[in-house]
Amino acid sequence: MLAASRPLDISLDRRQVLKSLGYRSDSEPSPRIASLVDEYIENARQLLEPRHAYAITNVEWVHDSVAIVGGSTIFQSRVIARLLERCSMVAVFLVTIGNRLEETACRLAEDGLILQSYVLDAIGSEAVEEVAQYVEDMTRETARADGLVIGKRVSPGYCDWDISQQNEIFKMLDATSLGVQLTDQCLMVPQKSISGIIGIGPPEGKVDEYNPCKTCTRQNCLGRR
Amino acid sequence: MSEDIIALIKENVIQGRKTADDEGIDDTLSGTPGVEELTRSALEQNIPPDRLITQGLTAGMQVVGEKFSTKEYFIPDMLAAADAVGAAMDILKPYLETSNVETKGKFAIATVKGDIHDIGKNIVAILLKGAGYEVTDLGVDVSTEKIVQYVKEQEPDYLGLSALLTTTMVVMGEVIEALKSNSLRDKVKVLIGGAAVSEQYAEEIGADAYCIDGFHAIQVLDSFQGAKT
Repeated sequence: MLAASRPLDISLDRRQVLKSLGYRSDSEPSPRIASLVDEYIENARQLLEPRHAYAITNVEWVHDSVAIVGGSTIFQSRVIARLLERCSMVAVFLVTIGNRLEETACRLAEDGLILQSYVLDAIGSEAVEEVAQYVEDMTRETARADGLVIGKRVSPGYCDWDISQQNEIFKMLDATSLGVQLTDQCLMVPQKSISGIIGIGPPEGKVDEYNPCKTCTRQNCLGRR
Repeated sequence: MSEDIIALIKENVIQGRKTADDEGIDDTLSGTPGVEELTRSALEQNIPPDRLITQGLTAGMQVVGEKFSTKEYFIPDMLAAADAVGAAMDILKPYLETSNVETKGKFAIATVKGDIHDIGKNIVAILLKGAGYEVTDLGVDVSTEKIVQYVKEQEPDYLGLSALLTTTMVVMGEVIEALKSNSLRDKVKVLIGGAAVSEQYAEEIGADAYCIDGFHAIQVLDSFQGAKT
């Protein structure tokens, strides 16, 4: 299971925040935006309530566009099946930064402070990404200890994996204790939450090299890697 | 004198400076009055509000739009400028009402039922407000019934629908059908936007236009203005 050796430390990387605000890696924001971003990064720290739920289970059976994991959970997706056919196990995860940052961003927008709300929202995106990265790093360490490798993080709603499959992930984890809920459309509330899976397999399966984007024709996809 | 203050308003919009306390894109204007203070001074000097808008605010915002499209400006720069313009419009509003200057029209915007994403909608709303439209934000996860009810009662000229996901964009089509069955479709122009939608999808569901971003929405609405006169 997950080695809880490393503390969950959210650094709020400034460069990454700027990236989610739309800045390229070679562009610096104007003094006004720079001081706003710095101020809000500091303010945001006290709004974060990072939590994660996590389970590692066996990959039971994979065929065509179906994968059965952990006894009875069925994932329906060609991309997920191609990923999991290289794996013996799969980590299922859900991470969140809680409600407080989002509520603050919402209040700012209601007060007409759209710029401030937009900046805080980008900081929230970076924060939840860092929590997901923490879970990914832990999975990699755990796998490595057993001589295994891991694949890329994948979430329902990406590629051909229907967003309704959020339900399967939520069933496998204690989502309620994390305070994360699904709407009728399977969107997560708080929105700054990430759910998904990480495949774990033997080095010869080469799951660490599997990238569905390489053969995908959707050049403009926001999730392209 | 009036030319000077209007030029300063334009320059401060470009720099995204709402008040004297704000830093700009660079430090050339630091400590000097921002758009809010300049707008108040201009009114005290009896400069006609419509000139402040067209030659100061809108002209400045146009430059911001150009800088955004050439990637010299980023979304936060654009929002800072739009915020300054929005603040000036709030100051000017009572003067516009008494001086019979018409706004460009009423624009209502909503993220459709089932979708809770608000960032794109907020950006479009603030840009259109800055461009001189009277904007009402109906919020996120807004039911089709509520949108239809609003169109019936408030008679906006334009309706903007936002959805991020392929699973929720279908609701936009339902809104258009509901407007038709309530005999309201020809009363309002419907614009759609969001990551999943496209020009082709707009055509498919019978929307009047697809807008790629907020500045594009201004262009599209302004082109409807041209058609109106």
